[in-house]
Amino acid sequence: MTDILSRTEEIVKKASALGADEIIAKTTIGKYRQVRFSNNQVDTSVAWNDYTTDVALSWKKRLVATQIHDFKDLNRNIKKLFELAKVSKENPLFGGFAKGDFHYQTNKADEKLRDTENLTEYVFEAIDAAKKKAGSQINSGGILFTKFEDVYLVSSDGPVGIDRRSAIELSIRAFSQREASGHGVECSSTLKDFKPSRAGTKAGEIARLAKNPIAGEEGVYDVIFDPLIFGSMLAVWSSMVSAFNVMVQLSVFVDKLGQKVAPEVVTLKDNPASYSLASRIFDDEGAPTRENVFIDHGVLKTYLHNTSTAKIFKTETTGNAGIVAPTAWNTEMASGDISEDQLFREVDKGLYLTNTWYTRFQNYEKGDFSTIPRDGIFAIEKGEIKHSLKDLRLSDNALRLLNNITGISKERQHVHWWSEADPPSLSPYVLIKNVHITKSK
Amino acid sequence: MEEDIIDYALEYAKSTRNEYAEARAHNQLLERLLLRNGNLETYVSAVDSGFCVRIVADGAVGFASTNRWTKQEAKDIVNLALNYAKAAKRKEKLVFAEEKGVTTKWTVEQKKKVENVSPEEKTSALAEIDKALASCGVKVAARMSQCSTDLLSKYFVNSEGSRISSFAPKVGAYFYITVMEQGQTEQAYEQFGYSGGWEALDEWKITDKLIRNAEILRNIITKGKAVKPGTTDLICGPEVTGIAAHESCGHPMEADRILGHEMSQAGRSFIFNGGSFWIGTRIGADRVTVVDDPTIENSYGYYAYDDEGVRARPRYLYKNGVINEFLHNRETAAKLGTRSNGSSRSTNYDREAIVRMANTFVAPGDATEDELTEGVKYGIYMKSFTEWNIDDKRFNQRYVGREAYLIEDGELKYPLVRPVIETTTQKFWMSVDAVSKKVEFDAATCGKGDPQQGIPVFTGGPSIRLRGVYVK
Repeated sequence: MTDILSRTEEIVKKASALGADEIIAKTTIGKYRQVRFSNNQVDTSVAWNDYTTDVALSWKKRLVATQIHDFKDLNRNIKKLFELAKVSKENPLFGGFAKGDFHYQTNKADEKLRDTENLTEYVFEAIDAAKKKAGSQINSGGILFTKFEDVYLVSSDGPVGIDRRSAIELSIRAFSQREASGHGVECSSTLKDFKPSRAGTKAGEIARLAKNPIAGEEGVYDVIFDPLIFGSMLAVWSSMVSAFNVMVQLSVFVDKLGQKVAPEVVTLKDNPASYSLASRIFDDEGAPTRENVFIDHGVLKTYLHNTSTAKIFKTETTGNAGIVAPTAWNTEMASGDISEDQLFREVDKGLYLTNTWYTRFQNYEKGDFSTIPRDGIFAIEKGEIKHSLKDLRLSDNALRLLNNITGISKERQHVHWWSEADPPSLSPYVLIKNVHITKSK
Repeated sequence: MEEDIIDYALEYAKSTRNEYAEARAHNQLLERLLLRNGNLETYVSAVDSGFCVRIVADGAVGFASTNRWTKQEAKDIVNLALNYAKAAKRKEKLVFAEEKGVTTKWTVEQKKKVENVSPEEKTSALAEIDKALASCGVKVAARMSQCSTDLLSKYFVNSEGSRISSFAPKVGAYFYITVMEQGQTEQAYEQFGYSGGWEALDEWKITDKLIRNAEILRNIITKGKAVKPGTTDLICGPEVTGIAAHESCGHPMEADRILGHEMSQAGRSFIFNGGSFWIGTRIGADRVTVVDDPTIENSYGYYAYDDEGVRARPRYLYKNGVINEFLHNRETAAKLGTRSNGSSRSTNYDREAIVRMANTFVAPGDATEDELTEGVKYGIYMKSFTEWNIDDKRFNQRYVGREAYLIEDGELKYPLVRPVIETTTQKFWMSVDAVSKKVEFDAATCGKGDPQQGIPVFTGGPSIRLRGVYVK
């Protein structure tokens, strides 16, 4: 372990000796495993072993970066990178990397996830749970993914750290009929808290309820968002608080710092806590990560920053570097004060959406977008699920939806799914009023 | 690239008990520049290099990859892949459709070699585009631009005797602009892609296109009018035709999707055995032929052999309005009783090859652009699109116009603000009554796979005219 840290440090020293102003080297030794399944069978099992050092250096406000996989040509690679910096173009807005002798929290990665090789049993546990809920004819597919990373970071500006990051996640989609499906996810940073049957049960239950869907109708509805689909919305809002996206106007939050952007009940934060799939103790500049409340009781409090964007906005880094663009790690919505059941009872006539995909914007600054609910879509009448629907689209505005939140459940769930609900989040059931729903004509 | 290690991996794999083994190496020299509002945020230059093995044993697939180039590592990942395949315990055994071993080399020629273009020249090219855009007379409030070059060498060997080397350079660029007028914004995204050398930049004419885009966005803000919702005629420009071909023909015709392998992520297809749609079913008007062709020279989706060593060829997906041929890899082909048509692609050494499109487009018709417009008494011309999406069975889709105009008595009148067509695959293609002669292509990055494998493609086609569709 110290050997790898020394090698990482050696890169920083070599670049420094050449004359670079600031250097960060980050070595990741990653072990990733995946099982993909469909039609209740394992299709492919995958193993990735990666050994990579990311290097970023600056010289007279010129920022260049590379990846090194092979230490045999280290001197040549570092020299080449420094030469690139010399012929690169100055960025007057480059604000340097995080500076300081930081003390990091202790990481809590699960060592068991380093050596877990037989993952198919978890897959079958989830498939069996779905079958229990919806019958043996149910057809399930999905992925199981594990990550175990050792990350070594050395910066010429002071930060030196070793992080160990682990995660396991399962995503299962179960079909009870050709057009009746449910999706469940189970996400954890430790094996101990990973219960694949929970995802299977949820997928099976929704698939059972989703049977015999009828075509839905366009209109304006009060909508209960399941934690999974709400995770997709949290991903939208958290990407839009990245200061980089604000600066290129790919955000509805441009010029809205300090303003009310949501009702009082809404508090959103970024929190790469130890229980999260995205847990980490430092960011890509070596700044300690922390909890950042970005919407506090409806008020936009901060954007997410690295050192450069923080300087532009005359503030401090929030520990969300990306060398170029700050990024959210794990979005959490503060839980509400009513139960999931009570939330449903608040809906006289509306919809319950369980999942979505293909979220696309017309204009990020205005926030107009649409997304396509998939898996269970349900009509709610007098607080109860009445029947299953299909072929609807949510066509609305990201800021308007945030403003129309009226209820949040006590229950929250860790969700992450493919690129549709990414970054991961801790997501509740949420009631949003007056949501615009459209369909094909 | 150390081919001897790949050969060793295969030889070692062949010494174990399995039905099939392959090894594939990728060596990519990547450069990426990112400019934000004229400032060079970063210049990335890197070599990404590694290899993978894929093994079929006991009727199941195991895949493992590494970026450590040692024989021991090769042996380790073979053992991993083998163990993983055996642990799958599949009831239904996988087999691959028959292919003969191939020994060949293929390359994409560069007129102006990317290797000979200095970082200064690359940076200047992007900076000049940005400068022209910033001073074009339209207030372009935010500009983000990225340019990438990728020199990709591959080496593929399998237990059936294939040995294929390739070199395929690619150049790509994308731009995101925000125009502000009268306190309002409109945004546009443009992507460019090319297989070949730096000559791509001469061919793309990026500056002209972006300035035109900026002027169009300003026009939408200052002169655009709302659409009167209703049933009308619609002319789709090549960009809109292309995205429809990709989303509602290319994707649903991927055989792995049809067989359910992508059921939990990218989804399934409205086409399935025993359903309303299958090979031979009419899905569109007679004039609609959609082709996926990886062999178009210099196209973004070009390749000569796929990542299973199968020779590339054009695939006629919808032919004269009828579902004709699915996109196959060797596994899906075997399952559906046919041969692979060379559609198996992977983005890197650490990603398994899966069924992908290459360059998907509507085949040309016999009308001129003017004839299409002249035949419309009242309708809409949607030249380009902004927001779009489609459901995961690839049947309900939506395209929102970016540059769009009202047509009255065969003439373009005024710009329309983001007209929306939200319709089904069948309705869209059945409504086509005229197809122009002139095919144009756009570069795109197609998403599929888990982890995501964003792969270069072209979308394209001619202008097409749809009769009696609902636009709002």
